[in-house]
Amino acid sequence: MAERVFITGMGMITAIGDNVAGNFQSLHQQKTGLGFTDYIDTIYKAVLPTGEVKHDDAALFQMAGIPVQKGYTRTTLLGLIAIKEALRQAGISNVKDVPTGFINASTVGGMCDTEKVYFDLINPEKEGDFIQSIDTLDCADCTQRIADRVGITEHIATISTACSSSANALMFGARMIKHGLYQRMICGGTEALTRFTLNGFNSLKNVDKQFCRPFDNQRTGLNLGEGAAYLVLESESFAKANNSTILAELSGFCNTNEAFHPTSPSPEGDGAYAAMKQALEMSGRTLEDVQYINVHGTATLNNDISEGRALERLFGTAVPPFSSTKPFTGHTLAAAGAIEAIYAILAIQNGIIFPNLNFTEKMEELQIEPVTQLQEGVLIKNVISNSFGFGGNNASLVLSKYEG
Amino acid sequence: MAAISPQHTFDGDFIDAPLVQTDSNRFVCLEPDYKPFVPGNSLRRMTRVLKMGLTTALKCLSESGVETPGPIVTGTGKGSLQDTEKFIKEIEQYKETALNPTPFIQSTYNSVNGLIALQQKGTDYNNTFVHRGFSFENALIDSMMLLNEGYTHTLTGAFEEMTPEHFFIKSRIGHWRTSPVNSSAIYDEYLPGTISGEGSTFFVLGNAPTAKSLAAVSACKLLYKPSLERLSATLQELGADADLILSGTNGDINHEDYYTVLNEVLPQPGLPFKHLCGEYETAGAFALWLAAALLKNGTVPAQLFPMIPSLPADFKKILIYNHYFGEQHSVMVVERV
Repeated sequence: MAERVFITGMGMITAIGDNVAGNFQSLHQQKTGLGFTDYIDTIYKAVLPTGEVKHDDAALFQMAGIPVQKGYTRTTLLGLIAIKEALRQAGISNVKDVPTGFINASTVGGMCDTEKVYFDLINPEKEGDFIQSIDTLDCADCTQRIADRVGITEHIATISTACSSSANALMFGARMIKHGLYQRMICGGTEALTRFTLNGFNSLKNVDKQFCRPFDNQRTGLNLGEGAAYLVLESESFAKANNSTILAELSGFCNTNEAFHPTSPSPEGDGAYAAMKQALEMSGRTLEDVQYINVHGTATLNNDISEGRALERLFGTAVPPFSSTKPFTGHTLAAAGAIEAIYAILAIQNGIIFPNLNFTEKMEELQIEPVTQLQEGVLIKNVISNSFGFGGNNASLVLSKYEG
Repeated sequence: MAAISPQHTFDGDFIDAPLVQTDSNRFVCLEPDYKPFVPGNSLRRMTRVLKMGLTTALKCLSESGVETPGPIVTGTGKGSLQDTEKFIKEIEQYKETALNPTPFIQSTYNSVNGLIALQQKGTDYNNTFVHRGFSFENALIDSMMLLNEGYTHTLTGAFEEMTPEHFFIKSRIGHWRTSPVNSSAIYDEYLPGTISGEGSTFFVLGNAPTAKSLAAVSACKLLYKPSLERLSATLQELGADADLILSGTNGDINHEDYYTVLNEVLPQPGLPFKHLCGEYETAGAFALWLAAALLKNGTVPAQLFPMIPSLPADFKKILIYNHYFGEQHSVMVVERV
């Protein structure tokens, strides 16, 4: 019998908070992190809202506890801040005490810095210390710098499956534990805002000029965000022997592919349906056991129809309360799966369902609508957290209350 | 399995094919005619690595005769560099307005996986690893776990391209030899830097041997920035009974120490492979392809290894050791079925 997988530490930074407590406070106060960018060099500065972490790089260096130096991109710094909190919360002072793997996720790695010097890099006439950032472009760079800084010397990997990246990082880490390869893994993702991704999504005409409105009939697109989140996963036997504080169980997960279109899901949400259904089956829970769904809910025209239909297909007329937290943080791409997994755990721990901000009008294609008021004092035992991405990548996680 | 590489690996019989060499320090793939694999209208939109990746995957599936791809798991260090470069430049050139989204979509690292899934209606597990010299190896480990979890087979591969622009960028941090060297002469002199490579390699991995099985992967171990002692212990543990060693040595004196350890710990007959494919993040996938091809053939084709005076024969178990610029080290063990 494969081991159960528990979450024993978590850390994060997003536009609504520099740590888990700060994020919870903003969610509870229904305070959005969306606004205009201070740090990206773009003509859309005052046009397209983003969920930006409101600290400049110098401040992030300080928060990460390292001196300002070349080679550390915003992607790496956000990741370092989040992982250090996760380690602290899990009570890990020396990560080498127990063999610990690290599965990271990112969609564009250090592009946030590379794009500023790219034309110098390709110009043979130009010399300068920008050359030190040559290796920061790929996604492995941030993973290794984070690993090296916190002392991880065991298995490392970086996953990039667009917006489902860190949900897949959590799954891969959990499976390594279930296969007995490691007893402890740190999994999550980091993503910084870039001119590259902002223009990418904008060229697809799916960025909203207003604050995004997931599951609203008038929705016109997403807002991008940045952030990082990591969760410490431990096998049941290790967590118990180690006397770890168990925050929640990662009881089910599933990764499926739409095989429908490079950038849009199938209209009936086939992949989303299969991912949620199989994740729930793995968790051993029934449809009635789910009290909350943190939907992917990007507020793009296609996602919300497809995800909504998948919910209706799976749950029929009894779709559990659901909401998208993207209007708080923006869509943080590779980091979203891990950030929202932590939100799911916060919902379980605090008995709270977070409202889907900016919703006013029910979608005409759907019977259901999201939770729009903060709900407190709810008994939440199981949460489904969805992350769907380009390339047809779907990932669903089931996070469950730990009950021994 | 199927491979597009700088050698004649895609069409015909690699074992009898002539050795391809280059004097440019940059090995490029011998690209096949993509038309039999990809519809013309898709082909026009796709850049090089997408065509290479998709075509290799499709050829691999047809060679192995499986009906559905099952889980699709890949590794790539750089994804579609050509699309990434193109989109960066278009942002600059068109001042962030009226951009064509295609290069952005294709620049995402999982776009090859998405295309394979789309073309083959593969709705199972789908994952892409993007960690330099651990990209393919993580995909392999993931696939081995999937087979353990009950899948009967996986489609597992890697793809990498090198563009002229990226070749220049990496030359600025000493990745390549400063003077041109013939690809087959890279082991003659150990100097700073090596030659660059690229390639696309796919495998159908099954959970039980079949009549079509070419070889069996029995181990895949990753070591991140290991000490020489740790490397030595792992090589000893996994390779003591191997009868042939495939070595990733590439003539780069900066990171040769590890291969010296390999030669000391495992003195069995050995073959280098970087003169065939060059150095790149997922060269390990090419090495695995080569190991399986050699096991199937039973002997080592002399024309492909002119630098090896006495060729090993009668081998059943091959250990592959490779590292990417000294940081990501991998050991794979491949055996005759």
